[in-house]
Amino acid sequence: MSYCVNCGVELDDTAQSCPLCHTPVLNPNKPVDMWGPKPFPTEKGEVPPVARGELALLISAMLVSVAVCCGVLNLFLRAERAWSLYVIGAAVMLWIWFVPPLLLRRLPVCLRLVLDVLAVALYVFLISLDLGGGNWYWHLALPIILLGGAIVLGLALIFRGGRRSILTTTTLIIGAIGLFLLGVELFVDRFLTGSWQPGWSLIVVTVCVALMIPLVIVRRVPSLREEVRRRFHM
Amino acid sequence: MPKHKKKKPDWYPLDNAGVLYASIQKEKYSAIYRFSAVMTEEVDPAALQRAVDQVMPRFPGFRVRIKQGLFWYYLEPNDAPGPFVRPDIANPCQPVRFKEDNGWLVRFYYYRRRISLEVFHALSDGSGALTFFRTLLAVYLRETGVDIPEGGGVLNIHEPPAREEMEDAYSRYAGKKVLRGGWQKTAYPNTSEAEPFYTLNVTMGFMPVDKLKEVAKRYGASITEYLAAVLMQAIMENQAAQRPHRPRPVALAIPINLRGWFPSKTLRNFILTVRPCIDPALGEYTFQEIVDRVHHFMRLSVNRQEMRAVFTGNVRFTANRFLQLIPVVLKNPVMSLSYRLVAARPYSATYTNPGQFKVPPEMAPHIQRMEVILGQATRPSPHCASISYGNVMEITFAGTGVSSETERRFFTHLVKEGIPVRVESNRTK
Ligand SMILES: [Zn+2]
Repeated sequence: MSYCVNCGVELDDTAQSCPLCHTPVLNPNKPVDMWGPKPFPTEKGEVPPVARGELALLISAMLVSVAVCCGVLNLFLRAERAWSLYVIGAAVMLWIWFVPPLLLRRLPVCLRLVLDVLAVALYVFLISLDLGGGNWYWHLALPIILLGGAIVLGLALIFRGGRRSILTTTTLIIGAIGLFLLGVELFVDRFLTGSWQPGWSLIVVTVCVALMIPLVIVRRVPSLREEVRRRFHM
Repeated sequence: MPKHKKKKPDWYPLDNAGVLYASIQKEKYSAIYRFSAVMTEEVDPAALQRAVDQVMPRFPGFRVRIKQGLFWYYLEPNDAPGPFVRPDIANPCQPVRFKEDNGWLVRFYYYRRRISLEVFHALSDGSGALTFFRTLLAVYLRETGVDIPEGGGVLNIHEPPAREEMEDAYSRYAGKKVLRGGWQKTAYPNTSEAEPFYTLNVTMGFMPVDKLKEVAKRYGASITEYLAAVLMQAIMENQAAQRPHRPRPVALAIPINLRGWFPSKTLRNFILTVRPCIDPALGEYTFQEIVDRVHHFMRLSVNRQEMRAVFTGNVRFTANRFLQLIPVVLKNPVMSLSYRLVAARPYSATYTNPGQFKVPPEMAPHIQRMEVILGQATRPSPHCASISYGNVMEITFAGTGVSSETERRFFTHLVKEGIPVRVESNRTK
């Protein structure tokens, strides 16, 4: 038998180091038994994931039921307007948002975001069908939705690469908001007048840039960063 | 026409401790504990399976599955095949899945000479599980050809289960007066960096009971009080090593088996925790002072009247009309939060000592030692549990944190007091 030279407890013959203080076992009179049985199994057991199929089924059933009921009601109530498309569209959108992530545990975040954005686009498309607004949908709503989706996707890709400091995160989010609003004005102008004359979005962008400058400086200068970290415990 | 016999209800509600353990259940956390017996011979898995098959029907409180009703969880008899004995694994006390493994809430493992039983805490406390385990070991030994008589804590598996074994003893003994504990201060959490899911670091220490008793006596305390004091000191040293601006109090949750004060044969939960506490912000405490404080606190707070008033409050809480009507899916998050605030936040660790494991003399030569593991806490900090058998005291630290400082300080303290300690662990580095 060997004892830990550091804490004085008797150790198992197969122990290569003390489980309490991690001091290696070095006993010339009794080398570590490398092949003997360990006191505990070494094979790890897997914990089965919680099955979510039932929940997915329940949500699906509820959404289908709502969509079908409203669709049928639409045939009798105010049949001149396709108002049920609003409800059905919402049901489809909610289904795409919640059910695939429940069923596919390993759904990549990016793919999920793309699906979510497409669901929003589909919903707005159904609304435009009712309002007879194919024009504004293709030239205004869809570009804005896709731009928003692309920016969120970009942010997700950047943040996926591990932990970012709260300074970087804030800077990037403010920048993304500025970019998005700039794009919104671009599409609105082109839809209304056919030419781009940046106005209010320039003010927003200026504000965003002004907010980002101090953050970038603090992020870049180590002494400032340390000071902020100390003051705010970040 | 013959009169219809009134059919016994085949489901039953959880007791008030069980309600709590079921509602704090998460994907990555279940309240699980494990008892193990290390036999003198290699375990025969086939004989163990035969023993499990014979013993389960005698213990209807363990042969159940848990179901989610609209307002509460409930238990119903489980007629699914199993439970099946399995080769043991390196990371014990895994979270249970209510809908998988045929709904079983007890698990059986074997590894070389060790037989292990894992129980979901909503079913039973340590005392009930040890009665079940003792009977299982007796039937297992009979299956391997050893003649073990009934009695001496071994239940007769050919008798029908007694009604009293299934009673909710909390409700039976609940009184009229309710004692509400005040708001407890947040204790030092004793956490360290969390291991990846699912890892449970288990470290066991073995020592002679007579030696331990002698040292405890020198401090004027029982073994439980002495070990609780050593643990509190270890946690206080952990905190002091971090040099906090304002040290937090160090407090333990120590479950008390209520059967000693309120006679009951129940095999379900019947425990209450007490909270010895030391506030290092008030100044230094010598070890003798810590022991004295724990000793006197335990003697003062463990009494029939106060304990009854406390669990009466718990029974009233689950019987509350208003709470009854909240759907269980909404109740779970609320119960889970209140567990964190009331049952986890004011404690640095849990220390449980089910005491001496006694068996009929015919069984004794076949069991070498007993072990106990209290499964993961809701945060990465170790729990402590101990059990003695013959002259071997076994103390386990188990947790999902990386640090082994608590157990190092604890066991080296015992070594310095002259108690020889042997250590085994499932840690790989
Ligand atoms: Zn050591």
